[in-house]
Amino acid sequence: MRLENLELPRVEGEARLELLWKDGVVEDARVCITSIRGVEKVLMGRHYMDALVITPRVCGICGHAHLMASVTAIEKALGVEPAQKGQLVRRITQSLEILQNHIKWFYLFLMPDFVLLEKSVREFYEPFRGRRWQDAIKVASKIAKGIALFSGQWPHSSYAVPGGITSEPSAKEVTTLRQILSELRDFFLKYTVGMEEGEFISCLREGSWRRLGGDAGLFLELSHREGLLEAGRSYDRFISGGSLYFPCGYFMKRVVHGKLRVEQLQELESSSYSGAKPVRYRGMPFETGPLSRQLIAGNPITKSMHRELRDSFAVRVMARVLEVWSLTEAIEEWTQRLKEVLHERSTSLGRFPSKFSGRGYGVVEAARGTLIHSVSVKEGTVQEYSIITPSQWNLGPRCENFLGVAERAILGLKSPLHAQMVLRSFDLCSVCTTH
Amino acid sequence: MKVFWLQRLTCCGNTHSFLNYESLNTLLKRVELIYHPSLSQKPQEEAVEELLRRGEEFDILLVEGAVRRDDRETLELCRLAGYVVAVGNCAVYGNIPALANANVCGLGYRFKEKGGLLGEGFRSKGGLPVINLSGCPAHPEWIAGTLLMLSEGIKPRLDQWGRPEEFYSSLTHWGCTRNEYFEWKVEAQELGSKRGCLFYHFGCRGPLSYSSCNTILWNGVNSKTRAGTSCFGCTEYDFPRTGLWETKQYAGIPAELPIGVSKRGYIMLSGVAKMFTPERLKGEA
Repeated sequence: MRLENLELPRVEGEARLELLWKDGVVEDARVCITSIRGVEKVLMGRHYMDALVITPRVCGICGHAHLMASVTAIEKALGVEPAQKGQLVRRITQSLEILQNHIKWFYLFLMPDFVLLEKSVREFYEPFRGRRWQDAIKVASKIAKGIALFSGQWPHSSYAVPGGITSEPSAKEVTTLRQILSELRDFFLKYTVGMEEGEFISCLREGSWRRLGGDAGLFLELSHREGLLEAGRSYDRFISGGSLYFPCGYFMKRVVHGKLRVEQLQELESSSYSGAKPVRYRGMPFETGPLSRQLIAGNPITKSMHRELRDSFAVRVMARVLEVWSLTEAIEEWTQRLKEVLHERSTSLGRFPSKFSGRGYGVVEAARGTLIHSVSVKEGTVQEYSIITPSQWNLGPRCENFLGVAERAILGLKSPLHAQMVLRSFDLCSVCTTH
Repeated sequence: MKVFWLQRLTCCGNTHSFLNYESLNTLLKRVELIYHPSLSQKPQEEAVEELLRRGEEFDILLVEGAVRRDDRETLELCRLAGYVVAVGNCAVYGNIPALANANVCGLGYRFKEKGGLLGEGFRSKGGLPVINLSGCPAHPEWIAGTLLMLSEGIKPRLDQWGRPEEFYSSLTHWGCTRNEYFEWKVEAQELGSKRGCLFYHFGCRGPLSYSSCNTILWNGVNSKTRAGTSCFGCTEYDFPRTGLWETKQYAGIPAELPIGVSKRGYIMLSGVAKMFTPERLKGEA
């Protein structure tokens, strides 16, 4: 038995991985995340509107998702429905944030690991110098520009307010956004999957993942060579709060659509080694994130990969990559609808009430999975604020009965680099986890 | 120019802000980023240890995130670096992490209290105090611009908070598309409209904060106030204040007036402005 302690590079924030080795195989794994900043604590006693400025600061890469969860929780507490225009724009910017995340994650966070294994891919994915690394940053920042058209800036905007949004977008913003989406499509087809649109669509329809070319094809080839196609499996149970391009539901042997029952959700006390609190649904650990969303949405490629390889490293990664296409398609559709309602008001509420009492929660999808904010307000002041992040589902520590989702996925691996890669396939975000 | 990027208590927002810099790939050719924890292949602890062990001097240390008062490693790195740049409000003033923990501060300040981790008299090897790029997050042009200036041998002139005057000498208010509403005292009555100034009811700090958000636009296209959101003063030491969306008023006059404006002047001017407000600025569009 040998204990190994790894600090992880290329994650959002700091994280450590403790591996217990026996006969060259990982026998036990602990995901340790510390450095608490205390965002929930800072909100106590403040005016509820302050949450819209402070919660995005939980995370530099998915702050928008926090804003959306926050505003939804406040709207529920107020009993307000957002205006249609505001709702569409919010969905668009929220999805754009996920898109820039996925591009950065795949090219800047994940693929550089393969550089350590294969010198030949250095020219593409080496940090700072790799050709594709540089292209990816460019396209990701274009997407961020798309968010800023509506939200004022990215990162850290606070343009979603109870009842809608603060901006009043016009046709100019919409046409610029469509231009950005076209560029993203071109990037995805040319580089990420390396094929013409028609060919990709037929691949997608048939679920023939082996035909994918480009960086995705190379990724699959490298994963095959490294034995990572089938490695990195966890509980094979998935959950998602829905919205965006797919319904709410969970997967346990099969997909079940339906409402997430918040009363069956449990946040446990954090263990001795991690600042993150484990989350359980009906007492069980579930994985959340793009793989969950793609299974629930029924993406044919994800389904066929999952049928063959279950919840492995490669399937998890490819679900995230393929979601780029699903989201781009969804945004196109919302943009068409937005054109028809541009003349409508941006918010249904106008001026927010200074004082009110109520309680509400917001369930939204962030890049890494289901994010939940809940707020209790008395006379306009926050009494309680609690945040459950996607990373708590995936990277949270063990409880009495179960290992954490990522911890279990690492068991049985034979190299420390593979262990790190599997952990990274969950799109690690320690800053969210330990808000 | 060798640049080392260090992360402490952070949300990584400044990193993602920086990645939006339009000519990033060109910048990386001119300025060598020897280490960045979100991008490089080594873990941060290892990279820091290596650098400290070799005791090798390098040109610029960028620090993102608030620090603990007993953070010896950061202190040692600051002593090795030619210039030290605090990127973002957490590294400058402590910001949100410092609100929740008394042992947390910025490099040169804890909110408005001088000192921080480095103490009041700190000078880096290059002879400058910490260069503070405040903001939550700092604008990519402020970060890249500072790096470029230093790499070209230009020492930026700093304001009283140690911020480069190039980026922090004007108010957020400058270039705001709602300026005309401010001048004629047309108050925004609700959120979600292009019309009206947000200073009167919605807590906008544009006339009270130093930043170039409305002259060097965000993501090349926009700003908070242009998108109808108040400026929350995130470049200042007191961010995030409480009651961010509301303007405190006494007898119908904002409790805090724009920087440099006297109360008497304000009352006189606003009376006149209101009397002569052009028709085209009144009412909803």
